[in-house]
Amino acid sequence: MSNGTSGALAIPERVGATLLGIAGQAGGIAIMAGQILRRSAPWKVDRYEFIRNMYRMGVKSLPILAATAFFTGAIMVIQAAPLVIRYNARSFVGWSAIYTTFREIGPLLMALMFNGRVGANNTAELGTMAVTEQLDALRALAIDPIAYLVVPRAISIVIILTLLCVIGDFLAIVGAMGMASFMLDVNWMLFLNSSLPRLEVWDFAVGVIKAFLFGIMIALNSCYYGLSTSGGAPGVGRAVNASVVAAASGVFIADYLSTFIMD
Amino acid sequence: MTTATAESQASEPDDLDDVEESQLEFYAREIKDLVGVFSRTLYYCVRGKREKGDIAAQMYAIGNGSMFFMCVTMAFIGAIVAYQMGLQTKKIIPDMSLLGATFLKLQVRDLIASVGAMPLATRVGAGIAAEIGSMVVTEQTDALRMSAADPVDFLVVPRFIASVIMGTVVLCVGGGVGIFSGMLVAMVSFDVNPNTFLNFSMLTSGDVILGLLKMVTYGGTIAIVSSQRGLRTFGGSEGVGIATTEAVVGSLFGIIVWQFILSAIGYVLLPA
Amino acid sequence: MIKVHDIHLSFKKPVLRGVSLEVPHECIYAVIGPGAAGKSVLLKTIAGLLTPDTGQVWIDGEEVTFHDELKLAELRKKIGYLFQNYALFDKSVGDNIAFPLRRLFGNIGEDEIKERVAERLMRMSLPGFEDRNPNSLSGGQKKRIGVARATIMRAPYILYDEPTAGLDPVTSQRICNLIRDEAREQRSTVIVVSSDIQRLLSIADRVGMMLHGQLIFDGTVDEAFASANPYVHQFIRGETEGPL
Repeated sequence: MSNGTSGALAIPERVGATLLGIAGQAGGIAIMAGQILRRSAPWKVDRYEFIRNMYRMGVKSLPILAATAFFTGAIMVIQAAPLVIRYNARSFVGWSAIYTTFREIGPLLMALMFNGRVGANNTAELGTMAVTEQLDALRALAIDPIAYLVVPRAISIVIILTLLCVIGDFLAIVGAMGMASFMLDVNWMLFLNSSLPRLEVWDFAVGVIKAFLFGIMIALNSCYYGLSTSGGAPGVGRAVNASVVAAASGVFIADYLSTFIMD
Repeated sequence: MTTATAESQASEPDDLDDVEESQLEFYAREIKDLVGVFSRTLYYCVRGKREKGDIAAQMYAIGNGSMFFMCVTMAFIGAIVAYQMGLQTKKIIPDMSLLGATFLKLQVRDLIASVGAMPLATRVGAGIAAEIGSMVVTEQTDALRMSAADPVDFLVVPRFIASVIMGTVVLCVGGGVGIFSGMLVAMVSFDVNPNTFLNFSMLTSGDVILGLLKMVTYGGTIAIVSSQRGLRTFGGSEGVGIATTEAVVGSLFGIIVWQFILSAIGYVLLPA
Repeated sequence: MIKVHDIHLSFKKPVLRGVSLEVPHECIYAVIGPGAAGKSVLLKTIAGLLTPDTGQVWIDGEEVTFHDELKLAELRKKIGYLFQNYALFDKSVGDNIAFPLRRLFGNIGEDEIKERVAERLMRMSLPGFEDRNPNSLSGGQKKRIGVARATIMRAPYILYDEPTAGLDPVTSQRICNLIRDEAREQRSTVIVVSSDIQRLLSIADRVGMMLHGQLIFDGTVDEAFASANPYVHQFIRGETEGPL
């Protein structure tokens, strides 16, 4: 539209430009992943920044993620209710809800919410530092922005999301149990007794591993887009936008791959 | 290193103050503000005098900006849902003949709208808040008001209408892609013949109505929440970043609350 | 005449703490003061963009403080406003300048609008810029487009927020002269907020100085230079020694 090309080549050209852009960003993210690894192997991270970030991210996102998880558990039971009644499958409600929560819904929803809350915020903070020349100021003081700013944030994101996924799993199950006893007369004893024998530790572990992978996706994307921000206040908005979208895509792709690998 | 650390320490008490700000009062004010923006939006949808082509431009921006992303995402979602359902079915009743019918019912009735709205909110909500937020920070909304152009009429209404229409369109197209990818997964992983899979017998008009109602509601929620966050932007580039963050989280949470309400209503009024 | 009486306004902290001010007809009134003194907030309060907690604003003898947006539309036909950050919309320069005319005056034909936009651009020494996009222009050019938009209504009151911030001295002086000439020709009443004191005082009739949300001085330019108030004395001369 804006870049004057017209006619038959317009669409292939745009597709090509988009793909090139994605390839360039993926490369940038890969390079940053390497830089982060190199700095965290012998622990060269500002410990105070690390603890502060863990605290902030956890406190900031816990209430909203808890509410989300609780609602989602309840919604899952409402969704399943018609089928449960139709097949008279009350003894499967618990297992189905817990299994889906552990394997899919828990890590996925927590990651999407966390991406909006912490990932976007992280990009905005780093982006603001970039446009107000604070990153250059750090470099001028011979402080490596990756070691000082990025590594603590990236590692905090991964750890906190993994922890929040465990808490979210638990709260979603509580929500599902409440809804099941309210709507379907499945009390919590039946809910748990019917499901626990069918569940494996692996079901739970899959979800935690997924959350860990999603955390890496969010961490890399939000830091990468934050550091490469330019162009003042509108630039920060654009960077946040691009970062949350890229991280969400990354989460879905990681989910798809890990679902098939770990069954 | 020491200077920067000292600065961070100095800013710590502020962070704590923000957390301890009277939460209940804060949420009450937010909800009141949201309702205000929403009612003004509806008022101006009928009586506004915004410029020609604004709605079309926003529809193009929202549709064009999220179509590719949503199709890719929905394809993954469809594949994951079909795979998980297949695994569960295998454990309960090793009969795959109704997998497709159940999958289609669940997708149309709920998952296309509810799960698809999450990435849509991320994409569209962040865009709306960043755009309006930048206009607030550069005083463009004040300039609009100086010419008696209410920012709600001028900025929110086109985005609201475009988000409702294009959100639904994008979700429908993405949903189609998701059903297709689910069909492929069922074929490859569980040997379900596409003809057996595409079984619409369980699908009722109630499911379709409920699904569409959800899409429209989520599209509207995304636009209203994100616009309100954008209009409330305060401060420079930091403010735009905060507004964008809050828009994404607020839209996502709004969708979940609506999902809860609409699913309950659907269970009562449009039973399967 | 613009009259402001005992305005209080606070966001999280108090920003305006009892400001009273009177700007006579056809006067160029300069508001000076250090950063964060509340100058821009005062200007926005006068224009009805911010509502004060207490206090009143009169314009032409009519109190406009708590008017709702619909009634403010009438008021806004009387006020042109130049914003600190230009606040130009993402549309062509011509559409930007014509925006207040089109929104506020439904009865002006497109031909006349075009003519008046061309005349404004000529006056701003930017002839033929109608179809350019503001994003491609320099800071000084954007400011002049902003001045053109503020003056196109030939409103009796024009408010300028930091018209010269971030511009080079030559461009700054040109814009100041433009503000003065416009005011004299249109016989309009002008309030200019700026930290660019020397240049501002060369075109102003009266001057007020704000500090910590209060108006600590109000008088003619000569009185300001002669003022015994230590803050005014120091600020106008830009001295480093003193109470500020």
